[in-house]
Amino acid sequence: MLEVDALASPWTVRLMAWGTIAVLVAFHRFRHLAAYLVIVPGATLLLSAVTQEIGRMRPVGVTVLGPWQGYAQPSRPVATLTLALTGVLYTLVPAGRWRNRGRWVAAVVIGVFCAARLYLAVDHPTDQVTALILGWPLAVVGFWLAVPHDVFPVSYRGGRQAHLDIGGRRGEAIVTALDHQLGLAVTGVEPFGLEASAGSTPLRIHVREPDGAKSALFGKLYALSHLRSDRWYKLARTVIYGRLEDEKPFSTVRRLAEYEDHLLRLMRDAGLPTPYPHGFAEITPEREYLVVMEFFDGGQEMRRAHVDDRVIDDALRVVRRMWDAGVAHRDLKPSNILVRDGKVLLIDVAFAAVRPTPWRQAVDLANMMLTLALASTPEHVYERALTVFAADDVAEAFAACRSITIPSQLRSLMRADGRHLTGRFRQLAPARRPVPIQLWDIRRAAATAALVAALAAAVILSGIYLKVAGLL
Amino acid sequence: MTPRRGVVLATVLLAAGTVLTGCAAVGDTVPGCGDPLRLAIIAQSVPGASYVPCLHDLPPGWSTSGFDPSQDGTGFLLNSDRSPGRPVTVRLTVACNTGNASPSPSRGPGVLTYTRLYSIAPRFAGTLYDVFSGGCVRYEFDFADGSQVALMEQFEQAVGLYPRQQLRLVLKRELGVELSP
Repeated sequence: MLEVDALASPWTVRLMAWGTIAVLVAFHRFRHLAAYLVIVPGATLLLSAVTQEIGRMRPVGVTVLGPWQGYAQPSRPVATLTLALTGVLYTLVPAGRWRNRGRWVAAVVIGVFCAARLYLAVDHPTDQVTALILGWPLAVVGFWLAVPHDVFPVSYRGGRQAHLDIGGRRGEAIVTALDHQLGLAVTGVEPFGLEASAGSTPLRIHVREPDGAKSALFGKLYALSHLRSDRWYKLARTVIYGRLEDEKPFSTVRRLAEYEDHLLRLMRDAGLPTPYPHGFAEITPEREYLVVMEFFDGGQEMRRAHVDDRVIDDALRVVRRMWDAGVAHRDLKPSNILVRDGKVLLIDVAFAAVRPTPWRQAVDLANMMLTLALASTPEHVYERALTVFAADDVAEAFAACRSITIPSQLRSLMRADGRHLTGRFRQLAPARRPVPIQLWDIRRAAATAALVAALAAAVILSGIYLKVAGLL
Repeated sequence: MTPRRGVVLATVLLAAGTVLTGCAAVGDTVPGCGDPLRLAIIAQSVPGASYVPCLHDLPPGWSTSGFDPSQDGTGFLLNSDRSPGRPVTVRLTVACNTGNASPSPSRGPGVLTYTRLYSIAPRFAGTLYDVFSGGCVRYEFDFADGSQVALMEQFEQAVGLYPRQQLRLVLKRELGVELSP
């Protein structure tokens, strides 16, 4: 029994806690990590506070056989072991069959441990009941609230964490909302192109037309998690780019959906080849919205399509039209540029801006030319560009172009390609001094200072917090 | 409101209430001499000790921390804002080595008090012992020269010794349990 009791020593619990943290970091499950770092040490602090109120002596009238420390009520070793196991179950183990099995295993482990401590007479039964209440249901409710399974499932099947599960009640809600709000007879909804999207959950929606014909629409499901991601993304861009960008974050999920729907309509009115908007549906008020648009059936990503002069010219004319219409796409990369029947189509206008800075428009041109050059040569793309743009425009585009202005997908494809495309375009275009992008203003300086201060404070407070909570 | 939301809300309110009430008590870690039911844990840490240390009202500027009862004894710290970073360490154990310590005025019936000084200036540092049947309380102090008279008097007044016999009677009367031995 002493050996069983020793198994749940503070070092065992610490090992489990740090192991959980290490796995969460390794799998980039930062939301679960944040929840864990709030709930588990928080519950430990709560345990300390409760102990001050209801702490009592060890059992009397019997010989205490095992080692003990502190008050008996609530049983601290039982509570911390239970918390550690709950943390593992709700942050590392996928919900469903595996978590159910894990619950049974945890229950057996805790049961044996409690029995050992009762045998050793170091705890009263009620000490253990109080500890189990603190370590299990309270922590489980915390995890339900912080990382609900429907929104943040634990999964090891790959894919981005931002994507929502569209099965179950959410799937039913989507079908009902599309029927009631947009009049669509939905026959099926499936995830589509998850690997290329991080800011929403992209869906292919199968619908039945009034004449019975089948067709497909494209949907982007936005939730609170995407809103928060958008805020962080924009804060990062503010720090990196400075005042050349308008990076006001959206205040609600509804605004996010409204903005994309508005941009789709604006671009359609400007004659740009973007998906036809079908409006957006409210799935859960102020929490989840689904933007619905035309599905470009048969469209191929630029990197997989045959790119000839017709495609190059069309792509460059699309950029020209955006310039003329006073809009910028701001995320031009191969996965957002489709080709169908020799025509270029643009998707994912969520980051687009109306009346952008000339710098941003120049960057759009550079990114389009780099995308085209991946499927052709910089010399040829430059030659075709001169039929649509002035040489100075191209020079300005590549003077404004930096590594951080190129979307990460395009950047990695350029690295894999091996040719120094940006340098070659600069050689071809008239000489022009680089456009400085590291401009500082009060907002950017404040955002940077606040971010650095917040990170430093987080590190210091985490250290204090973990120390107080017994994890250090 | 769905049943699940109700459960969640109730649990959050319960937790918040517990935290708020619990936090108010954090810091009052060492049992007071007027709270014998909580002193029992100290008595259990040294089962044969005829006295257990407890806390009278703390003088202004003093606080306690690190209360740690276990099967090997009980320890805690007394912190004074006039001696920052150098708390008085109080520890109840089965026995103490009082060799080379000088007898001092006794702090209670059946209690032998000793003092051993390591330094007088520039710091007033040493150990005070309260030795009694079955146990001993050791106080390690390290004060700046000049403030030691008041600080010594204050911490000696702050820490009292509660008779085990009296504690046994209280526990029998209040809880109906026999404190052993």
